[in-house]
Amino acid sequence: MGVQRYMLGKGGKRKFDEHEDGLEGKVVSPTDGPSKVSYTLQRQTIFNISLMKLYNHRPLTEPSLQKTVLINNMLRRIQEELKQEGSLRPVFITTSQPTDPLGDNFREAQPAFSHLASPSIHPTDFVSTTPLESCLTPASLLEDDTFCTSQTVQHDGPTKLPPPAIQPVKDSFSSALDEIEELCPTPTSTEAVAVAAAAAAAAAEDSKENSSESNIQKPEGVQESRTSESKLMDSLPGNFEITTSTGFLTDLTLDDILFADIDTSMYDFDPCTSATGTASKMAPVSADDLLKTLAPYSSQPVTPNQPFKMDLTELDHIMEVLVGS
Amino acid sequence: MSVFSHFFSPADIISTVEFNHTGELLATGDKGGRVVIFQREPESKNEPYNQGEYNVYSTFQSHEPEFDYLKSLEIEEKINKIKWLPQQNAAHSLLSTNDKTIKLWKITERDKRPEGYNLKDEEGKLKDLSTVTSLQVPVLKPMDLMVEVTPRRIFANGHTYHVNSISVNSDCETYMSADDLRINLWHLAITDRSFNIVDIKPANMEDLTEVITASEFHPHHCNLFVYSSSKGSLRLCDMRASALCDKHSKLYEEPEDPSNRSFFSEIISSVSDVKFSHSGRYMLTRDYLTVKVWDLNMETKPVETYQVHDYLRSKLCSLYENDCIFDKFECAWNGSDSVIMTGAYNNFFRMFDRNTKRDVTLEASRESSKPRAILKPRRVCVGGKRRKDDISVDSLDFMKKILHTAWHPTENIIAIAATNNLYIFQDKVNSEMH
Repeated sequence: MGVQRYMLGKGGKRKFDEHEDGLEGKVVSPTDGPSKVSYTLQRQTIFNISLMKLYNHRPLTEPSLQKTVLINNMLRRIQEELKQEGSLRPVFITTSQPTDPLGDNFREAQPAFSHLASPSIHPTDFVSTTPLESCLTPASLLEDDTFCTSQTVQHDGPTKLPPPAIQPVKDSFSSALDEIEELCPTPTSTEAVAVAAAAAAAAAEDSKENSSESNIQKPEGVQESRTSESKLMDSLPGNFEITTSTGFLTDLTLDDILFADIDTSMYDFDPCTSATGTASKMAPVSADDLLKTLAPYSSQPVTPNQPFKMDLTELDHIMEVLVGS
Repeated sequence: MSVFSHFFSPADIISTVEFNHTGELLATGDKGGRVVIFQREPESKNEPYNQGEYNVYSTFQSHEPEFDYLKSLEIEEKINKIKWLPQQNAAHSLLSTNDKTIKLWKITERDKRPEGYNLKDEEGKLKDLSTVTSLQVPVLKPMDLMVEVTPRRIFANGHTYHVNSISVNSDCETYMSADDLRINLWHLAITDRSFNIVDIKPANMEDLTEVITASEFHPHHCNLFVYSSSKGSLRLCDMRASALCDKHSKLYEEPEDPSNRSFFSEIISSVSDVKFSHSGRYMLTRDYLTVKVWDLNMETKPVETYQVHDYLRSKLCSLYENDCIFDKFECAWNGSDSVIMTGAYNNFFRMFDRNTKRDVTLEASRESSKPRAILKPRRVCVGGKRRKDDISVDSLDFMKKILHTAWHPTENIIAIAATNNLYIFQDKVNSEMH
């Protein structure tokens, strides 16, 4: 499974390259039937690029506020679209929105995300921007992923979502993606993958193999990952962002379901319907997937003082804790 | 035509170009915080080819890199804007700004020096008093021209965000500085106080969806100014209405064309520059793909819209990915407000004649332009048909961009900043050179 995931990460990039010339700029209305696939594809691409842009900027320099605002508006717009499309399934909204029981983890993670998105603009000003960023940033992606790959999981928290309703229908976009995936050569080695990615893959493999055992291990894993995270929070400088700490153990928010529209496609080939992983197993992997999704769009190599690199090493640690136990 | 350039280094990238009010001087600022001033040589009958050429007059370091220790952020020394003050006496003055700090510089000439002091020697050292046997009257002796640049005022701590524009008021006493969210009004003689005249910072920064991108005073009415936004709108404000101009007097906005709607609609509509015409009747705005002329009396739509490089419309996704879509192109009026000019990629710049509606693409490059050569119009071809010398869209160099241009206030002389090169072109009609 881990290998497949890696391949998907690559596939994300390839799909962008292939469709770049044909699609870009010529955005068609979402209502145009035949081009819905390309539209969704482009939306996903732009979404990924936008996230990359928010995270990648020269360290120590203040990012241009204008650029940040424009990119945020872009993400907001895409989110708005997804929301509208999501509203076709009212079950989700009515069940998830009012309850929206954000776990403590999620709340804690929010400042980290806003910091990540606009790391340096006037702390006094930007701390307050948290909700904006957090609703747009990987928190939702991660949780979405959790959601996608762990439908069979019984959530620890007071889950209000009816499990059957979550099952995303394999839409035309997903199947199109699958076709693209089939065209892509499957990498047989993970050499090219970042160390952490490989580790994540290994972890994923493990979790698949040991899926039966993992249920038993779950409570411990949860505990450990939590503690290690809080430890990280304490020991690391303020600039550190713990992407894995977002509420992957908590309940799904509205965004989760909404973002499922785009992101589940990334994992459709995954035995989504028969996912047996547990929340504790899957969540760190999902964080890594995000990294892989983002990595191809990075124009610069990740430098040691960029948040993700740190995340990767810490992810490794968490992974070791989870897998090794 | 003149070309000024250095060996290429990032610090040499020209970040602003500005003629003074007579056109005699031209100032450039660069990423390294330097200001270079060029002076037009006086016309001379003996050297017909030397007349009117611009030569380096003075160079000085305006801003230095700084570090904000509270926020752990570098403050770049890059000169964002230069504005000349109307000349009041023999000295010239200009304002230069980086992201945070505005400085007023005085440029003076000295071509004489006093000689024959009683107590000081030539180098200014005190003489041994025992050697002083007679008194003399010091005299001024001519010397080689020396240009002295001195910092007169430093306007610091007025901006939390990045300063994108400065504009000197027609009252010649005040100027304004605009950052992403606020506009401040300063008195040129007072550095420790400024008045906030626009503040669009929402109480909650999560509600922030729009920023100020450029701002300018009206050329004749000292109470009027305009500012542009990242959503493509222009707001004209009247300072007589209230001290804090949060409510605009007029809002200039064009409804979005539904046929061109895309994910990038907002980004490409973001206004990167706004300039009043010399007459004060019109405003010129530049967004990513077009330049527009607005009549101050018509808020609903621009009176003229010119496509700068519409062929990029199909490339927006790539341009978003490589950040080019955020490039801030400037625009300029000619002296009579009849022609407008703006930059593009591949070292191309565009001119639009408002009367004949003719437009031309010219290239600023060393290869194609020798001194006194005539610029050849260039064409970018879009479809399959490609004429000789045409450039295809795919071979455009997006690293070579002309963001900053300036037009002489009265004559047909233009200054084009192409990365680290400054090109000065002159119309052949005015003289026998180009």
